[in-house]
Amino acid sequence: MVTRLAAIPATEVAGTSRRRGSRVVASSRQGRGGLTLLVPYLILLLLVGIVPTGYAIYQSFLTRSGSGFGGISAYHDAVTEFQFASSFGHIGLVLAVWLPLMVVGVMGLALLLHGQRSRLVGVYRFIYYLPGALAGMGNFVLWLFLLDPVNSPVRPILSWLGYTTLNQTVEPSHLPVIIALMLFFQGAGTWILVIYGGLNGIPEELGEAAKIDGASNWQVTRWIKLPLVRPWIAYFILLNVAYASQLFLEPQVLGLATEGQISPQWTPNQLSFTFAFQIFDVPAAAALSVILLAISLVIGVVITTRTGLFSNRD
Amino acid sequence: MGIASQRIERPAHARSTGAPARTPLYVRLRRMTPMTFLTIVALVYLFVMVTFVLASMRSEQSLLHEGAFGPLSLARLRFDWRQLAGFSSGIYFHWLENSAVVAFAGAAIAVLVALPAGYALAMLHFRGRRVLLFLTILTMVMPNTVLVIPLFLEVSAVHQIDRLLPVAVIFGFFPFGTYLAFVHYKTTLPFELLESARIDGVSEIGIFLRLAVPLAKQAVALVFFFAFVADWTNYFLPLVMLPSSAVQTVSVGLQELITSSQLFNPSAAAGLNVQLYMPELSFAAVLQMLPVLVVFVGAQRYLTRGAMLGAVKG
Repeated sequence: MVTRLAAIPATEVAGTSRRRGSRVVASSRQGRGGLTLLVPYLILLLLVGIVPTGYAIYQSFLTRSGSGFGGISAYHDAVTEFQFASSFGHIGLVLAVWLPLMVVGVMGLALLLHGQRSRLVGVYRFIYYLPGALAGMGNFVLWLFLLDPVNSPVRPILSWLGYTTLNQTVEPSHLPVIIALMLFFQGAGTWILVIYGGLNGIPEELGEAAKIDGASNWQVTRWIKLPLVRPWIAYFILLNVAYASQLFLEPQVLGLATEGQISPQWTPNQLSFTFAFQIFDVPAAAALSVILLAISLVIGVVITTRTGLFSNRD
Repeated sequence: MGIASQRIERPAHARSTGAPARTPLYVRLRRMTPMTFLTIVALVYLFVMVTFVLASMRSEQSLLHEGAFGPLSLARLRFDWRQLAGFSSGIYFHWLENSAVVAFAGAAIAVLVALPAGYALAMLHFRGRRVLLFLTILTMVMPNTVLVIPLFLEVSAVHQIDRLLPVAVIFGFFPFGTYLAFVHYKTTLPFELLESARIDGVSEIGIFLRLAVPLAKQAVALVFFFAFVADWTNYFLPLVMLPSSAVQTVSVGLQELITSSQLFNPSAAAGLNVQLYMPELSFAAVLQMLPVLVVFVGAQRYLTRGAMLGAVKG
């Protein structure tokens, strides 16, 4: 970001000063051109973003039979469902393990990689990234393989911990740690690339100047590198909080693979899924979706306006 | 037990330098150079992925009795293939086809929609530009699972459940792609070029087609890559949009393989005519990963240059 901000103004200043001359004419002409180019995007934004949101809000105010206006009864149903609080609690537990793991792991690995001159750095970055290509169900099957003591390659570790069956390994109380590890394995590599890229954007002279003045490696990291990548760390934390609030696949399929040992309403999204497809309470499902949407929206607005990464500058 | 897991358990350096067990922890940590640490992490990653991929070439007996590594046979791959082909008369290959259809169509729509939109946002002046840019960034940082239930309600209201087309269209809405194109044009296309084309009387659409499209190669590769991977590995959306087994995508199909497996659901699998143990599951998971790897290799040279532009989103 640092380099880009430095690079843009040269062309941009020239652009704005020229534009100003025939601004009115240019604007209306560009407005029409812009609109034509934007039509497909606007249609999709409407169909896939705005209409479903509006429709879900509408549905969330219906009565359970779907016949008429039910006020906030659907929200009441969703919030008082006995799994509601626990499902959000589970998200909190996952975050409590996952966020520190991600921040320390990703920052640590990115900073260590950045300090190396070895050719292996590229290879390692690629290896860390690889599980990302296996995201979703592919990663999930891999973790079933790791966690099931029947064929696990880390069986000695599992048996040392006292687990001899899959159900013992993925006991509900272990879920926050297991899911945090799954998400770290599949997601850390991408973020290492991102932070590493950010570190590369820091001019080398900065660090060298500091070293000439007697700064240690650690001091360069602490006082130069970290402050400069801080907006990304904020971004990365907020994005991961938003992501975790949406957890679905991992607890859902772990529940299926262990024949119901894990509650099918372990996360809010699973609860919403249950409302919609098991108890056919569409307004409650819609209400819960609206609540989740509001949470993501708040996080999204904070990211967009507060991290300084997306300043929409001209 | 495997070599790599020994590396996890013991502090590798301590033994290789023959340090006595009483050496204080911080001294041992300091001796462990960053490169050693990076190497250990990379080896753990490799160990996990390699043993998983190789599991498809081993027998259940070997997985059960021989630990992380055991004899491999290519014949086992043919056996795995026959089991998959025999499961519900080869439905696995239909799932692959369905995934290919929605992921390719979704990524293609994403590219076609994102390029002109990103260009317009970056280069043209029109009313509402800032609002639209804000909406793009906002939707980009919100997890895509948040709208799944609302989208389901919308699509089922128009009776399009179990069809691939709506899924592809939903995948086509890819605000991250629009943002990538926006940054791409902002940083590669000088305003002066546009101005001189305007003086020559070229229309706004003409300028986009003649100046912006030829410059789009890297943006196309990045948008297609990120969209394709996101679409191919998506689980929640196809799960609710395509409830019938015949139209499922492979990521949802893998879940069906897991729940049909003798390993995880012996009672349900009693009537199964094929074997679905870890070798077959690993084979199925690895096979469905290959398209992602192919796209990754194809896009890689753009990714390294675009890592800053792409992943950092700044």
